[in-house]
Amino acid sequence: MNRAAILWRVASILVAAGFIAAWQLVANLKLVSPVFLPGPDRAWTALVRGFSSGDLASKLIGTLEHMAYGWLAASIAGIALGALIGSSKLMRAYVAPSLEFLRPLPVSAIIPVAIAMLGLTQGMALFVIAFGAIWPIMLATIHGFAAVEPRLYEVARALQMSRMAVIAKIALPSALPDILAGMRLSLTVALILSVVCEILAGLDGLGHWVLLSARAFRSADLFAGVILLGATGYLTSVAMSVVEQRLLAWQAAAR
Amino acid sequence: MTLARAKPVLLPAAALLAFELWARLSHLQSDSLAPPSAIVVALGAAIGDLSILAATRDTLFAAFVGLAAGGGIGLMLGVAFGISRPLDRLMEVTIEAIRPIPSIALLPIALISLGFGYRMEIVIVAFACVWPMLILTRAAVRSIEPRLMEVSRALRLSPAQRIAKIVIPAALPRIFVAFRLSAGIALIVAVTVEIAINPLGLGAGIMLAQQALRADLMLAYLVWIGVIGYALNILLIAAQRRLFGRAALAGDNT
Amino acid sequence: MSVVARLDEAKAARRGTPLIAFNGTTLRLGGKTIIEQLDLEVRPGEFVCIVGASGCGKTTALRLAAGLYRPSEGAVTFNGEPMTEPRREVAVVFQDYGKALLPWRTAAGNISLALEASRVPSRERNGRIDALLRKVGLPGHADKYPTEMSGGMQQRLQIARCLAQEPTTLLMDEPFGALDAMTRQGLQDEVLSLTQASRTTVIFVTHDLDEAIYLGDRVIGLLPHPGRIGIEIDVNLPRPRDQLATREHPEFLRLRRQLFDFIKATEH
Repeated sequence: MNRAAILWRVASILVAAGFIAAWQLVANLKLVSPVFLPGPDRAWTALVRGFSSGDLASKLIGTLEHMAYGWLAASIAGIALGALIGSSKLMRAYVAPSLEFLRPLPVSAIIPVAIAMLGLTQGMALFVIAFGAIWPIMLATIHGFAAVEPRLYEVARALQMSRMAVIAKIALPSALPDILAGMRLSLTVALILSVVCEILAGLDGLGHWVLLSARAFRSADLFAGVILLGATGYLTSVAMSVVEQRLLAWQAAAR
Repeated sequence: MTLARAKPVLLPAAALLAFELWARLSHLQSDSLAPPSAIVVALGAAIGDLSILAATRDTLFAAFVGLAAGGGIGLMLGVAFGISRPLDRLMEVTIEAIRPIPSIALLPIALISLGFGYRMEIVIVAFACVWPMLILTRAAVRSIEPRLMEVSRALRLSPAQRIAKIVIPAALPRIFVAFRLSAGIALIVAVTVEIAINPLGLGAGIMLAQQALRADLMLAYLVWIGVIGYALNILLIAAQRRLFGRAALAGDNT
Repeated sequence: MSVVARLDEAKAARRGTPLIAFNGTTLRLGGKTIIEQLDLEVRPGEFVCIVGASGCGKTTALRLAAGLYRPSEGAVTFNGEPMTEPRREVAVVFQDYGKALLPWRTAAGNISLALEASRVPSRERNGRIDALLRKVGLPGHADKYPTEMSGGMQQRLQIARCLAQEPTTLLMDEPFGALDAMTRQGLQDEVLSLTQASRTTVIFVTHDLDEAIYLGDRVIGLLPHPGRIGIEIDVNLPRPRDQLATREHPEFLRLRRQLFDFIKATEH
């Protein structure tokens, strides 16, 4: 980062601080009822208190667990299925149109069906999160596998590479940018569905925390939960970027 | 050639048929599953008594008002950030702090300040729609051919004229893509809010059917929601083709 | 080695059994006949160039020789065995080097792919990769990605990957078609020195008549629609070839004229 970029960054942080100050002012002047809008000071206090009592930390871990298990299951299944469908012309012709039809379906609509089958349980939440998160990964993987440069398959044939070697050394690395983009999208989906499932099924997690706080009109706790959810979204996305940069260093070389 | 045309429907048709047969032969009694024929009957009844149509109207109303509000805000911010690099850089941290908040997390806040009903749903939909619109519009404005901007300067257009006559028309095809994506998100968020908590629209309808242990009606709602999502998508893609030609779809693999 | 000795050797090789043979080979793709009744024998160590107007099936002929296509009729044999699948001793240099290299692997990684496919133990690979990079004039570029290299360098890299297969035969499909004139001439000489020293058999497809005569022991001209042999000329120019002397040789000019007239006639 050069000096100009650092200065812009500092200025940008100051602007953000300005917005927080304005929020504090609005709260202090009680322009909005404190029942709905706590100041940043109260939200911060609630955050610290929540963590020191251990409540908030356990809720955060709960949400992270729902998200991570569902997302990982979706990633494994999505990449495997996507590779299977994407690498076969026949499969693409028969299966892909059905998937395209299902793609715009609001995945949350599967929740009632999951509840009917599995009840208000962790298993239901896991199923819903994985079901919602699998689509972007699977569709991106299909696209990635279908878009492998045919010339590379010929190179593999000329080198008499085995089928496993072709998948591991040609198809998978070639499809990786698409797969990672799909996994990034799914991360957001997984977080949203975790919150929805926690709200609906009363499962331990930040979704349940914010709902209870709202019901009890503890707005400071509510905002603390929302801030944590935002931080979760932000940090998981940053982590994903780091992984992408690592794995796709060759793409940066092209620019 | 008939086989080529039949290929896409072969798999779902076979799956439905197999499911129907299995349900009949095993005399299926379930709270979560119903044979396709029963789902069709339930869907027909729900359309006949207009209940599912009324729910559709409610959901689409909330989704579209939210889309208009959030999309409008996103469009304005996107154009502003796209034109002014300093503004974009100054707002960067603020935007990056707010954007990752999952829209559904705002649900409790909207609930206590606005109560149940359209308003809270619209606010959440609007929040969700701001981001894709903002980011894609900003990218669209930034990628406008620099020569066009030089032309506008040479013609001494005022800033308002420049936006109205150069920026918006030049970026319009990509802004429409952003609009299409946002519309999909609006529908998803609206249904999700209804399923989670808000007692109206299609989401509430499917939850009620589930609680009443009406598997046929619940799955009828699921199919209907899928059809609505698919129809909205098809409609917007068709509109995009009509308005901007096929070229506008190139490079749009989202 | 004297020029006379080289020529004698080439004649001797010609009397031997063919390494690659097309016997009445026909290829149809999607109802269209691309190649019809092709008979061609390539002897060990020979450098054969195939020329022809675009669409005459010269690339297709090369792909048949590579085992990337199977003939619809007749056969393509390698050392007497039918060539129905690619073999490791036959390496293919594709024209579109940009597509044939793995963009996510460095230069070293791309060469390594061929070594991995031949199950060369990993401890031996680095040494072999360095040697190959030096051989094709890319020392010190091991850690560069293909996208960071010029077209000429990328094609050198592809050639290095092919050499890593330790092929007895090199099939080259318009390998220098997309390169500028200077780079092209440099690579022509390098291909000659790499293949002549190791007596590698080469089939070289090109649309550049000068290039074909300059490189080849023999030039085959194909007729289009469907592809079949229209002309076959022996190039009795002395080796090693020289960009200036060879191209000014009266024989070079005569062959050039002969080929030029042939191509001209096929275009009508």
